[in-house]
Amino acid sequence: MRTKIAAIKIEPMLIPSKKPVLQIIALAAYFLFMLPNGLSAQDGEAIFKQNCAACHKVGGGRMVGPDLMGVTTKRSEEWLIKWTKSSQSLIKSGDADAKAIFEEFNQTPMPDQAHLSDADLKALYAYVASKSEPATAATAGTNEPAIATDASKNATAEDIEYGKGLFIGSQALVNGGPACISCHNVNYADVIPGGLLAKDLTNAFSRLGGDAGIHGMLGAPPFPAMTEAYKNKAITDKEIAAITAFLYKVDSDKANQQVASFNYLLYGGFGGAVMLLALIFLIWNNRKKYTVKKSIYDRQIKSI
Amino acid sequence: MDIRSQVSMVFHLDKCIGCHTCSIACKNIWTDRKGAEYMWWNNVETKPGTGYPTKWENQDIYKGGWEKNGDSVSLKGAGKFRGLKNIFHNPHMPVLDDYYEPWTYKYQDLFTAPEGDDQPTARPVSLVTGEHMDVQSGPNWDDDLGGSPDYARQDVNLQSLSEAEQEAMFQLERMTFSYLPRICNHCLNPACVASCPSGALYKRGEDGIVLINQERCRAWRMCVTACPYKKSYYNWHTGKSEKCVLCYPRLESGQAPACFHSCVGRIRYLGVLLYDADKIKDAVSVPDDQLVDAQLDIYLDPFDPEVIKQARLNGIADSTIDAAQKSPVYKFVKEWRLALPLHPEFRTLPNLFYVPALLPTMATVANGVYDSTSKSLWNGVESNRLPMKYLASLFSAGSTGKIVEVMKRLMAVRLHRRGVTVGDLNVAEISSAMSEVQMDAETADAIFRLTSLATFDERFVIPPAHREESIEMLENTADVKGNTGFGFKEKPARGL
Repeated sequence: MRTKIAAIKIEPMLIPSKKPVLQIIALAAYFLFMLPNGLSAQDGEAIFKQNCAACHKVGGGRMVGPDLMGVTTKRSEEWLIKWTKSSQSLIKSGDADAKAIFEEFNQTPMPDQAHLSDADLKALYAYVASKSEPATAATAGTNEPAIATDASKNATAEDIEYGKGLFIGSQALVNGGPACISCHNVNYADVIPGGLLAKDLTNAFSRLGGDAGIHGMLGAPPFPAMTEAYKNKAITDKEIAAITAFLYKVDSDKANQQVASFNYLLYGGFGGAVMLLALIFLIWNNRKKYTVKKSIYDRQIKSI
Repeated sequence: MDIRSQVSMVFHLDKCIGCHTCSIACKNIWTDRKGAEYMWWNNVETKPGTGYPTKWENQDIYKGGWEKNGDSVSLKGAGKFRGLKNIFHNPHMPVLDDYYEPWTYKYQDLFTAPEGDDQPTARPVSLVTGEHMDVQSGPNWDDDLGGSPDYARQDVNLQSLSEAEQEAMFQLERMTFSYLPRICNHCLNPACVASCPSGALYKRGEDGIVLINQERCRAWRMCVTACPYKKSYYNWHTGKSEKCVLCYPRLESGQAPACFHSCVGRIRYLGVLLYDADKIKDAVSVPDDQLVDAQLDIYLDPFDPEVIKQARLNGIADSTIDAAQKSPVYKFVKEWRLALPLHPEFRTLPNLFYVPALLPTMATVANGVYDSTSKSLWNGVESNRLPMKYLASLFSAGSTGKIVEVMKRLMAVRLHRRGVTVGDLNVAEISSAMSEVQMDAETADAIFRLTSLATFDERFVIPPAHREESIEMLENTADVKGNTGFGFKEKPARGL
């Protein structure tokens, strides 16, 4: 009772004095940074790094997805916006070009970038166009560190073991990200069945186009759930290399694995549940099972 | 010595006519709400019978009350380990069927039914589900069925009787019943309070009324099983437990609780007892046969100067001490030793005492003739229709001596008054009955007066509540001065 009264008295004193100040700052910030016409190729670079760089390069060869060098001249802006926002809808609508690209890249769907506004996309295309100009394009390829495509094939047993540890979570990621197994499953030797939230990674190595693809995915995850999970908890290059080595091993050994490992958990869980129920039945066996009036009710004649 | 005051009660069973007016008065004031329809904070049972909820006295089923554990006591069905083990499913909880499913009738059908060949009827509908239902039982389904196989024969108290004694009770010419009205006993050692995992139950300091804080109750329902008298109920609508509040708002304004006030037979008495809280632990830990004496020993003489001094030191108001001196309960329980607690073997130290009923004596059937004649006017307590063992199981934890003593005292008063008003009895017989229980004529007249002629103010001696002092123990009342009081429902159109 008393605390309520105190709260009512204090509120009117504090809030009106602070609120307008905060509102003015927020409004000012909005006008300075948020207006759409303020976007440029420079913002495009940030958007590219954040959303596209995992799978695409502008000059420097194809990764998971195609090299975007000169894509802005090859396709109309309208087509590009449709593709970027939802490539699968474009493919389903029967666009022949879109279908061809999808087939060319092993039917690996590009994640939808629906969160980007048209203004964002225009800035992004401006950036891609500027990078495609011959003057910058010449240097573009050399600036980026080349990823050796056969790094994981030459990985040592220790690297694979380290990668496995990272995958199953026995080895913590340096920046505190969650272990892969929380959402992903691989079919490999003694690794227990993983989560079913995201794609099975048993053949990820070949599916995503080897080292470069996986490096891109892990360096800047393009999937919303994964982006959120590793926000401010980036996986280091060394860890990426180890995980890639492990995934290579998984992929190359997949023919030797037994498929039945998941059932072990299913039947184990079922058996455990039965045992738990039996235990509950035994512990609480002396409970009151019927109403005390049961004998009286049993003698009554029912009308309903 | 830690003297406290307790509002206590006496029910004089000889005067109970089993009319249920008390139950209805209580229902109208307190439990005529959604979720509380099945609750009867006050109920009247027929003995022998199974009561409400059915077989509530059988603690093998419900695990209520305390049990002796070395030189102390522990809860029978709750406590740290058992409470934790059963916290999400209490296996000894009474279910709705153990009480009864509350119902009403679709009276509107009597007026709105389309014209037909048959009379329209008001079908019963459940107050819980709203569906049509078959009424299977009610809160007093055993009412007046003192010989029935489903109810009377299932009475838990019969377990103390031999097979032959039970058969004797149920021969047609010997059959009998009497009433047992029950409310919360507001115990000195309440099992409900001890069992609550949320600490929602408490015993009011100034008058000992046991209450459930509706804001702290988390619906664990441990009190429902722990109370051996089954006087704590779960409200399925509010998700909180509720119990008899002894009409404390009425008590605080000097009125008797509704069930007391409305009692047709005037069987109910209410008054203050002073007791020594330091003795509680020892009193609940004695063997069964000493329980009644140990409990009565806790209550103190309000005329003793030392008791008065200690009571004042403990903050008990002079007006409360004065009420304790005039208390009808003190007279019945301590001075006259006529009233006994119900089921003292539950070890909760109940503060509701019963004066047992003097029932008709046994009759015999010889050659097809029903014979109820006796040598003297009343045949003596040993030939009471309800065996002493049965009454002992109810009121004295099985010690027959206690019951016989009380019955003899009641009989002595009756003989004495017969001598005074009619004068047809042998004087020697009266004086031997009186001297056997060491009662003088003055005491017998006083017992007669308080039993039969007592006024409203003699039956209910309610101390001033002194809420102004009690509330200051809990909160600083000056804090809200100037904040509450006079107000408007609509904002006034004038003024500043």
